[in-house]
Amino acid sequence: MIAMRLPRAAAVTDAFVTRAQRVAAEALHQVRSDLVSSLVPLAAEIPSGERLVLDSYKFSIARRRPELCSEPDGAFTMSPATCRRAVGLAAVDRCLRRSARGPLEAVAQALDAGEQDAALAARGEAPGAPWWARWYASLPDGARAVVHAEAALWATQLWTALSWERFEDRPAVGARDDWFDLPGGRCLTLKGRADVRARVGDCPALVVVANAAPDAGWRSTLVFPAVVACLARGDRAVPVRVMGVWPASGHVRMVAVDADVLERCATDVVSAVAVWVDGLIERRNRGRRPTGVKGS
Amino acid sequence: MGSLAQADRGTLSSVLEGGAFMGRLRGEGVERPRVDPGLAGGLRDWLEDGLAEVVAGVPLRSGPVRVTKEALNQVLMCESHFVARRDAPRTMTAELVRGALVDAVFRQWVTVGRVVDVFGEAMAAMAVEGGRDDVIGFVEALSTGRRRALADEVAEHAAGIISRWTGLNPAWLVRSQERLLVPLAGGRVVLSGVIDLALGMPAAERASVCVVEVKSGRRRVEHRGDLHLYALMETLRSLSPPFRVATYYTRTGELDVEPVGREVLVGALHRVLTGTTRLCRLAAGAEPTRTPNPLCAWCIGLPECPPGQDRASTDIPRMPGHDVGDLDDDQGGESEEVER
Repeated sequence: MIAMRLPRAAAVTDAFVTRAQRVAAEALHQVRSDLVSSLVPLAAEIPSGERLVLDSYKFSIARRRPELCSEPDGAFTMSPATCRRAVGLAAVDRCLRRSARGPLEAVAQALDAGEQDAALAARGEAPGAPWWARWYASLPDGARAVVHAEAALWATQLWTALSWERFEDRPAVGARDDWFDLPGGRCLTLKGRADVRARVGDCPALVVVANAAPDAGWRSTLVFPAVVACLARGDRAVPVRVMGVWPASGHVRMVAVDADVLERCATDVVSAVAVWVDGLIERRNRGRRPTGVKGS
Repeated sequence: MGSLAQADRGTLSSVLEGGAFMGRLRGEGVERPRVDPGLAGGLRDWLEDGLAEVVAGVPLRSGPVRVTKEALNQVLMCESHFVARRDAPRTMTAELVRGALVDAVFRQWVTVGRVVDVFGEAMAAMAVEGGRDDVIGFVEALSTGRRRALADEVAEHAAGIISRWTGLNPAWLVRSQERLLVPLAGGRVVLSGVIDLALGMPAAERASVCVVEVKSGRRRVEHRGDLHLYALMETLRSLSPPFRVATYYTRTGELDVEPVGREVLVGALHRVLTGTTRLCRLAAGAEPTRTPNPLCAWCIGLPECPPGQDRASTDIPRMPGHDVGDLDDDQGGESEEVER
């Protein structure tokens, strides 16, 4: 009999599901109030007609590659890499519901279901389909196989990172992102994303799957969705713990969410928004500059 | 069941069919080695200690020193060859294109178990993957006759894949083109690679992952070193070594399988230490040493290398525009990825 227990999945999951104390309501109120009052003047500087949606990606870019914030946004391109997470999450959910024998099969089911939904939606017989489904349905077989393979790899990495049977309640895989619109104009939105939302006792806890290896700002990257949850959904939605998984490098990091951690991340959020606002202003100014006049 | 020969110590080379093929890969009937829980940490400490001094000499502004299987092979062969390759534009060759297309067919087969229009589907995979314009451009520039010949060749390789790679169990958790990254020395050195195929789940008690590299070209001595590097990287990443590594040659159907023991990992570690030390020295601005070797005749740097010219008896590289590395069929899958 070959034991198939992962070297770390059980230990990691046990640590993840350990009960923890919620952050006190007063501390959350303070974080929320400080953050909003710091963001309001920044949002006022966003050029008219622009809207800044700060998600984990933009949060990270502002800290690692601030020079990119003043560059024009590239057009979003559908690709196996851009949709592997969405398909992979649907697949892991199927694995959890035991409707597939493994991630490879679960991805096949998720892709088939998406394609069917797209066909029904095109005929007006279904309300909608996953955002990737129409694109996927348009691909030839060889390209579909790449989408399948990429999503299966992503799903397998998440599926094997945790010992799912150790959760008291079935976690929500790929649940809705948190959105927070800064009051007064909706030109600044924070978007918090987690791949797994679980319950630890009666408190939420999050798992985030990340690319490559942790960088110097990994802690803030993990705490960012907790800050957005604090703003968007109130005290009871603030996770007690966020775990990051970096499958390519094998790193697993966990952050216990307390008032200090939230405050530090909120400070980073303000800095990131400032960098992006400067970038947007720079873009706007560049657009107004007469052709042939170089910037300083 | 096909022929079976002992290719060299510890490696079984064979041309097998059906269940025997998969049985060899999965090591059926062979007890899998126990995982030494201290092994991965020990190997990592060994690497970190061994690199600490040389990494300190690399300027921070030069970014991390990336150690790939290609970089390692090149710098261990000749530092000057590595620098010449690094600084030269990438040249696409028929072998590289064939390798990319066969890799795509292999990935499709192990993922969906269905390939109909081999060449068309492989090209569709290239188109959707991104970063494969060089392959597509090369194929589009071929004459009709040469394109048909390439398609026939890829179809031949595909036939072997389809006949041998049957019965992959979903429980084996098939992962294709899996990226491995091992940051060392605080991220100033990064071992980087992409595994063609991994089967099995990293386990705590018994090693249970099998790593497979797919080659459409001829057997080369570096292939074992590449696999040993991946075995070491997988050990460092998942804290559990693979129980075996294998190279599958799509042209001949040969499957070289090798168990992964401590000697394999320690050997790979020494190779990584030697190669990475050289890469760090070069990154710190050291002059590359020239090491004449039997492959100098193919080196892209030959026109500027008197010792290489002495060795090759010419200053004109063979296969103009192509380099010795291009004789291989593998681009290493090292393109940077961007994800939202």
